[in-house]
Amino acid sequence: MKKLSPTRRLTLVTMLLAMSILLHMLEPSLPIAIPGVKLGLANILGLVALYLFGAKQMLMLNFMRVLIASLLRGILFGTGFWLSLTGVALSSLISIVLVKRNKLSPIGVSVGSSAFHGLGQILALMLINQTAMMIYWLPLLWFSAVPTGLVTGALTVEVLKRLRK
Amino acid sequence: MFKLNRYDKWMVAFILVSSLVLYGTMEFFVRATTSDKTVAVVSYQTQEVLRIDMKVNANYVVQGTLGEVTIEVLDEKIRVEKETSPYHLCSIQGWVQYANVPIVCLPNHIVILIENAKVSPNGEDAVIQ
Repeated sequence: MKKLSPTRRLTLVTMLLAMSILLHMLEPSLPIAIPGVKLGLANILGLVALYLFGAKQMLMLNFMRVLIASLLRGILFGTGFWLSLTGVALSSLISIVLVKRNKLSPIGVSVGSSAFHGLGQILALMLINQTAMMIYWLPLLWFSAVPTGLVTGALTVEVLKRLRK
Repeated sequence: MFKLNRYDKWMVAFILVSSLVLYGTMEFFVRATTSDKTVAVVSYQTQEVLRIDMKVNANYVVQGTLGEVTIEVLDEKIRVEKETSPYHLCSIQGWVQYANVPIVCLPNHIVILIENAKVSPNGEDAVIQ
């Protein structure tokens, strides 16, 4: 990708943030075969920000996305907000670590990111409901992280290809 | 479309294998720890609101955040029969019969968890509804 001026860079990050908020809010209404499992389409924009601009921009984009989407949906500081926040925190951290190690393609990073998003949500559920048995749902979330991570990873590769032209 | 390198394949394999191992472990644990006498504990916003004897077939109604949540007990299994929520995930979950398998109704802030009933030293049930 060509070197961007600060203004173009800011514009692109802002557009990624706007699109990620939109996907975050629309996604729950998309039908999916397994109840409670989501594709994580908004994560595509986070990964794009990570590959194009680095860890700081990705963290900013992901946390702003959760904050603004929760505010718009009226669930700020509710259960759904904390689930999203912990999920996004863990998935962002693992993505940064995996990209720094430079061994996996965006598809592998996306699969790892999806799995740790589920782990973050389970940890939040365990804390909120004060029962460790929420971990019963972790295998389902980890298993579903493979197909969802593969799809979002492949889409990330396609978006990156087009943006880097 | 899915061009995976060697490390990607390891990542996919690790997640699939660990989820299957974890699932097997959890299933073994919940089956092994479920006694003959169980109670279902219903909590609203982490506060216990109802204790249900799993031996008694009946319907119960508790108040959730978005409305009433109808709970059904039949043949020592429990489910959320009806609830007001955007996606009805906890009623879709269906029947649960083993201890420690949570039914979570997030929008209603209701959690149902089967526990083994405590039995006093002289053999009498200590907890019935």
